[in-house]
Amino acid sequence: MLTDRPPFEDLYRDFLGRIYAYVRAQVTTSADAEDITAQVFMNAYQAYERFEARNTTPAAWLFRIARNATLDHFRAHGRRERLRRTIEHQPVSEHDPAGMAEERIQYRALLAHVARLPERQRDAISLRHSGLTFEEVGVLMSCTEDAAKMLYHRALKALRESAREEMA
Amino acid sequence: MNDDEDLELQALQRRLDDAFQTTRPRAGFEDELWSKMQARRPVWSRAAEFVSGFIASIREAPAVPAAAVAVVLVVALGIGIIARSGVHFGAGGASNSSNAVPAEAVAGSRYAGTFGRLPVPAAAATSAAPKVANPSSDTGGGLAYANAYAGPVNVVWAGQFTVSLTNAPVYRYFEPSSADADQFATSIGASRRSGSYAGDGFVLAVSGTSPAFSREPSYEITPDRSKLPPPGPTATDTANAFLAAHGLVPMWPYTVTTTQIVDVVRVLYLRQFDLPGGGHAYLVDPTGERYGIEVDLRNSQPLQAQGPMLLYLDVAVYPIVSGDQAVRSALATSANSSASNVPTVRLTSVELVYALAIAGDHSFYEPVFLFSGTFTQNGVTYTKRVIVAAVGPQ
Repeated sequence: MLTDRPPFEDLYRDFLGRIYAYVRAQVTTSADAEDITAQVFMNAYQAYERFEARNTTPAAWLFRIARNATLDHFRAHGRRERLRRTIEHQPVSEHDPAGMAEERIQYRALLAHVARLPERQRDAISLRHSGLTFEEVGVLMSCTEDAAKMLYHRALKALRESAREEMA
Repeated sequence: MNDDEDLELQALQRRLDDAFQTTRPRAGFEDELWSKMQARRPVWSRAAEFVSGFIASIREAPAVPAAAVAVVLVVALGIGIIARSGVHFGAGGASNSSNAVPAEAVAGSRYAGTFGRLPVPAAAATSAAPKVANPSSDTGGGLAYANAYAGPVNVVWAGQFTVSLTNAPVYRYFEPSSADADQFATSIGASRRSGSYAGDGFVLAVSGTSPAFSREPSYEITPDRSKLPPPGPTATDTANAFLAAHGLVPMWPYTVTTTQIVDVVRVLYLRQFDLPGGGHAYLVDPTGERYGIEVDLRNSQPLQAQGPMLLYLDVAVYPIVSGDQAVRSALATSANSSASNVPTVRLTSVELVYALAIAGDHSFYEPVFLFSGTFTQNGVTYTKRVIVAAVGPQ
C-alpha cells in the first residue's frame, strides 16, 4: 500500500534529530551517536519498501531499528563502552565545576545520568522522551503499556536519586 | 508520594523533554548522511528512479520517439554501472606525466611507487539529496556551506579551467591498530585508563576511519576547564596555545579560519596537501567543505578539539585527467531534466582539492576536482558543488 507510506525523505527529516537524541542519550561520544544514527537510517532506507504503515507507526518502526542498532553497538563494544561511560562522564565533571555548570545548561549532564541507568530503565526514559506513547514503548520493550509506565516511573525515580547523589 | 516529590519528578520530566528536544546532531550531519545513503543505493534503484523520471518527462513531451528513449536508457544504465565499478576514464591528459616525486610531497611521507588502481573517493561518487538546504540553518558549523543546494540540477560549464597539473601525489595510510592509538595517546601525554585515555587535565578519545562520514582516524580531546591557563588575546591565539600544549599543532600545511556557532567560537585549521610546483590543495569532505582540526572555544576557553590522528603516509604520483575530461565528468552529473523545478546551474570555478577514499584496512587521500557555481531560485541565490575524480587512467 504505497499510498499509506510517506516518502522516506519526510521520515528522514522528521526523525533524524529524535533518533540522534535517543542514541546520544545512551552512548558516550557524539561520534558514536552519529555512527549509530547513520546505521539506523541506512538500514531503514534499505528496508523501507517492506514497511507496512497498517501494522505500526513510522516512529515505532524507526525506534525499533534504532534500539536494535544501539544494542548491537553495546554488544560489539561491551565492557569497554561501559568503562568509557564511567570514565568520560564522571571525572571530568567532578574536576571541572565550570564545565559542569555549562553541561547542565546544555542538558548533557542529565543525559549522562540517563546513560548510566540500567539498560531497560535507560531505554524506557529515552523512548518515552523521544516522543513515543507508552503503548509504543511497551511494544518495543516487549511488555504491556502498564508495565512500560511502571518501568518508566521507576527509571524516573532512579534518575532523580542519581542526580541527588551527585549533588550531595 | 508527597506533593514535593511529585513536583520534583514533574520538573525532572520537563528537563528530560528539553534535553531530548535540544540534543541534535551537528550542522551538516543531515546532508552528509543523506548523501551517503544516496550513494549507497543499489544501481537498479537509481536506474528505476531515472526511468520513472524520464518517463514522466516523456509524458510532458510526447513527440520523443520510443527508439530514442530506449537508446538513451541503455546509455544511462551503462554509465551508472561503470561509475559504480570505480573505473576512472581519462582522455590522454597524462601524456606529460613523469614519475618524479614532488619535493613537497615527500616531507613526512614515503614514496611508494604506485598503489595500483585507486578507489573512487566518496566525495566524487555521491549523488545528492533532492532538497534545498535551508539558508538560515546552513550558516556556520564549518561543514554545511551557506545556501548549499544538494538537489538535482542541470549543469553547464561557463568558467575557465585554470588547473594545469598533469600529475599529483596520492597519499595512503593503513588503518591504525590499538597499539598505534596507544602510541598516539602517549605522544600527547595521555595513558590508557580502563578502556579510555586520560592525561593531566584532559581526556582523550581516539576513533578509527569512519566510512559513514568519510573521515580519517581522529582524536577528540576534552580539557578540564578548571585547569586551563588564561585565554590569549584572540580565539586563534588560545586555540594555538591549546594545541601546542598538547603537542597537536598540525605538521601539515594549513590555513586558519574562525566561525561562530551560537556561543561557541570554532577555530578551524584547514588541512592542505602539497602540489608539484609549490602550490597547495585543500582537503575536503563529501560536501566539498574544507576541514582539518577544529578547536571549539566557549567563554574564550577551549571546550574541545578534534582532528585527524597523525599518521604515516605513503605517497605515489598519479596522472591527472585533462581539463576537458574533468569538465565532461562534471557535466555528466547533470540531471538533464526538462522538469521546471530542476534548476540550471552555471559552474564557473574549479579547484584541485583532496578527498578521502576508503578501501578496507587502508585509505587514500586522492586529488579531485571541485567545481562550483551559483543560481538563483525564488529570489534566493544557491551554491552548487560538483566533485569529480581527478586521477587519470591506471
